[in-house]
Amino acid sequence: MPGRTRQPAGGATSSEPRIRPTPTSPRGRYVATVKENIRLCTDHYRLVLSLPRFPRSTPGQFVEIDCRDPRFAPSADHDPGPRAFDWPPPESFKGDSPVALPRPCPSDPDFNAPLAYLRRPFSLADHRIWPDGYTELDIIHRVVGRGTLLLAQMLPGQTVSLIGPLGTGFTIPQGIELACLVGGGVGIPPMLYMAKGLQQSWIKGGVGFIGAQREDLLPVTIIGPPNAPEPSRAGDPLLNVAEFKEYGYPAVITTDDGSLGMRGYVTEALSAFLEERQVQQGRLMNTIVYCCGPTAMMKATARVAAVFGVPCQVSLEQPMACGMGTCQSCVIKFRPRDLGEGAEWKYKLTCTEGPVFDSRDLVW
Amino acid sequence: MPTREFHAPSLAVSIGKLDLQNPLMTASGTCGYANEYGDFTDLTRLGAFVTKAISKTPRKGNEAYRIVETRAGMLNAIGLANIGLDAFLKDKIPILKEMGVPVIVNVPGWTTDDYVDVSARLNDEPVVGGIELNVSCPNVKSGLSFGTDPVRLFELVSAVKKVTTRAELIVKLSPNVADVAVTAKAAVDAGATALSLVNTFTAMSIDINNARPMLANGTGGLSGPAIKPIALFMTHRVYTEVAKKHNIPIIGMGGIQRWQDGVEFLLAGATGLAVGTALFLDPNIPLQILEGLRNYLARKNKTDIRQIIGSLQAPAPHD
Ligand SMILES: Cc1cc2nc3c(=O)[nH]c(=O)nc-3n(C[C@H](O)[C@H](O)[C@H](O)COP(=O)(O)OP(=O)(O)OC[C@H]3O[C@@H](n4cnc5c(N)ncnc54)[C@H](O)[C@@H]3O)c2cc1C
Ligand SMILES: Cc1cc2nc3c(=O)[nH]c(=O)nc-3n(C[C@H](O)[C@H](O)[C@H](O)COP(=O)(O)O)c2cc1C
Ligand code: FES
Repeated sequence: MPGRTRQPAGGATSSEPRIRPTPTSPRGRYVATVKENIRLCTDHYRLVLSLPRFPRSTPGQFVEIDCRDPRFAPSADHDPGPRAFDWPPPESFKGDSPVALPRPCPSDPDFNAPLAYLRRPFSLADHRIWPDGYTELDIIHRVVGRGTLLLAQMLPGQTVSLIGPLGTGFTIPQGIELACLVGGGVGIPPMLYMAKGLQQSWIKGGVGFIGAQREDLLPVTIIGPPNAPEPSRAGDPLLNVAEFKEYGYPAVITTDDGSLGMRGYVTEALSAFLEERQVQQGRLMNTIVYCCGPTAMMKATARVAAVFGVPCQVSLEQPMACGMGTCQSCVIKFRPRDLGEGAEWKYKLTCTEGPVFDSRDLVW
Repeated sequence: MPTREFHAPSLAVSIGKLDLQNPLMTASGTCGYANEYGDFTDLTRLGAFVTKAISKTPRKGNEAYRIVETRAGMLNAIGLANIGLDAFLKDKIPILKEMGVPVIVNVPGWTTDDYVDVSARLNDEPVVGGIELNVSCPNVKSGLSFGTDPVRLFELVSAVKKVTTRAELIVKLSPNVADVAVTAKAAVDAGATALSLVNTFTAMSIDINNARPMLANGTGGLSGPAIKPIALFMTHRVYTEVAKKHNIPIIGMGGIQRWQDGVEFLLAGATGLAVGTALFLDPNIPLQILEGLRNYLARKNKTDIRQIIGSLQAPAPHD
C-alpha cells in the first residue's frame, strides 16, 4: 500500500530467487480491459484499465504498455498470428480527437509504417483495489507519437497488454511532516497517486505545485473558489485541483503564459512557498519535495530544494527498451551524496533502481 | 483408416554435449544475468539461458542515450556494460544453478588474453555449459576486427579452445561481413563446437531537429523483426556451406518473435533458437513459440523436432 517507508525493488524480500511467476509475484504480465478513455484536455487522456487482479504498487511506479494495434493484443491461445495494419483505424474514438498532431493518413508516404514497436512506459496516476482483488489503474498520458496516439483511440472493452508494476516508487523518510508535490506536464500523473499515498501515511500536510505551459495542457480538474460567480482565473490563488482537494491538499497552479493560476514556472511558486514557510517557522527540517516533470524542471526543483536544505525525490524519464532491468539502456549517473563531489559516479538503471531517486545522489 | 495414436512431438535438441529440453534460448544482452525475467516467465522451461556479456572487469558502458526504436526494431549501443566476472560468479551463478537449465555465458573481449582468462575461469564452473564468444559486438572500437577478419578469428578461437576443455565453445558471428560463411569456417576450423548468429547489424538513426545521431555512441546495432530475413539467409548460408558438413549445430537468432519465425530458422538449419529483442515486448515469448512449434510439428506429423532442422527444400542454383 502507498505510504510505507521502505519499498524494495519489486516489493518482495524473500531470499529465494524468483524464477517463475507465482500468484504472489510482486509484478507480472497482465491483460487489462479499457474501462474508460477520457480526454482531459488538449492532447491528454486518462485511460482507466480494469484487471481481475494486480499486485500492490507504490506511487512513482510505472507500467509498460504494449502500444501496438490493440486489435492484435495477445489472445488466450498465445498465437499472435501475423500483425497487419490499416490506417486510419476503424471509427474508434468518440469525442474529440487529438489535435495538433502529425497524424498518419493515406496521403502520408509513411502511411503503412508499423506502429510503435517497443512497449511504452507510463506512471501510475492512481491504483484502486477492491477487496476481491478487482483493480483499476489510471494512466494519464499526453499524445506525442504513435504509441500514445493509439492509446488515445482505445475504446472501452478493448484489451491492452501491460507489464508492471515496475521500478521503485517514492519513499517517505521518518519524521517528515510536510510534503510538496511538484508536477510539471506529463509529470503530474504520478503526483496525483502520491497525494493519495501521502494521505494514507502519517503525513497530514501536503501541497501540490502543478505547472504547465498553458491552461489547456493541464490534465487535472480545476475548481474555482467557492461562491465566486466568475472568478478571474489568471493569478487566482484560490483555484484548486480536485484531485488534490479530495485528499485535503491545496494546490498552486502555474502556467508559463499566465493563462491560469500564477504566471511563471512551478519552481518559482515552490521557492516562494518554502521561503514563506521558513520565515514563519524559522526552519524547514520536516519538509520534503517530490517532483516529476521535464528534466530541466526537475533540475530546477532540485536546486530550489537544495537552497532550502530539504530533501527532494525526483522521478526520472529515460528511453527504455525493456523496463525490467535487462537491457541496460536506461542509465543515469549516480553518486551517493555521502561520498562527496570527488567520488566516482556509477550508472544506475532508471527502470529498476529508479525511476525515483534522491536528487542529491544524481550527477546531472 | 487406422487411427494414429497422438504422441507429443519431441522438442529436445543438443548443442554439442549440452542436452536441451527444447531449442528456445534467450539472446545475450536481452535477458540480464539470471532471473530478471523470473516474475514474467517460467525460466525453468527454457532450453538454455544465455547471459549478458561478462567481461573480466566491470564495465560502465556507453553514455546515454543507448537505445532508439526504429521501424520494426531498435538500435542499441550499450557498450557491454556489465558487472564483471567476479560479481557474476559470486552473485549470479547460484541463481543460475537454481534455474536448472543449461547456461551459456557470453564472453566479450578486446585482446586475446581477455577472452582466454574469462573463458578459463568459466570452464571451471560446472553450471556453465557453454561459452559464447562475442567476437561481433560492433559497439566497442576494436570489437569488430576479431569477428570480421577470418585470420584473427582463427587465432582467437584456437587460443580459447585450449582452455575450454569442458564447456562447449560457441562462436557468435558478426553479420557485418561480406560472406559470413568465411568467418564461420575459420571458427569451426579453430575448434568451435557450435556457432551462433547473428549479432546486430551496425546501423544509425539521426535526430533531424538537432542534426545529431540519436545514440550517444553515434552508431548502434540493429535488432528485431527488421533484420529477420537477413539473419535467416545468413543462417541458411552457414548451414549449407559449413555447419552441415562439419556437423556443427547453429543457434539461430535475429528478429525471432513468433513460432512461425522459429520454424523458418529451423528449416534453414538452426538447431537452437534464441529470442532477443522480442523479450522486451514480452519475456514469455519463448514459451509461446514453444507451444506453436509443438502444434506445428503435430500438424505436420513429425515426431521429433530434429526431423525438420535444415530440411528446407532449397531450389537448385541455376547457372
Ligand atoms: C518511467 C516513465 C514514466 C512515464 N510516465 C508517463 C506518464 O505518466 N504520462 C505520459 O504521458 N508519459 C509518460 N512517460 C513518457 C512516455 O513513455 C512517452 O511519451 C511515450 O513513450 C511516447 O511514445 P509514443 O510512441 O507516443 O511517441 P514516439 O513515437 O516514441 O515519439 C516520442 C517523441 O520523440 C519524437 N521523435 C521521434 N523520432 C524523432 C527523430 N528522428 N528526431 C527527433 N525527434 C523524434 C516524437 O516527435 C515525439 O515527440 C513516461 C516515461 C517514463 C520513462
Ligand atoms: C539491448 C541489447 C543488448 C545486447 N547485448 C549483447 C551482448 O552483450 N552480447 C552479444 O553477444 N549480443 C548482444 N546483443 C545481440 C543479441 O544477442 C542478438 O544477437 C541480436 O539482438 C539479434 O537478435 P534479436 O533480433 O532477436 O534481438 C544485444 C542486443 C540488444 C538488443
Ligand atoms: S529499460 Fe532495460 S534496463 Fe532499464
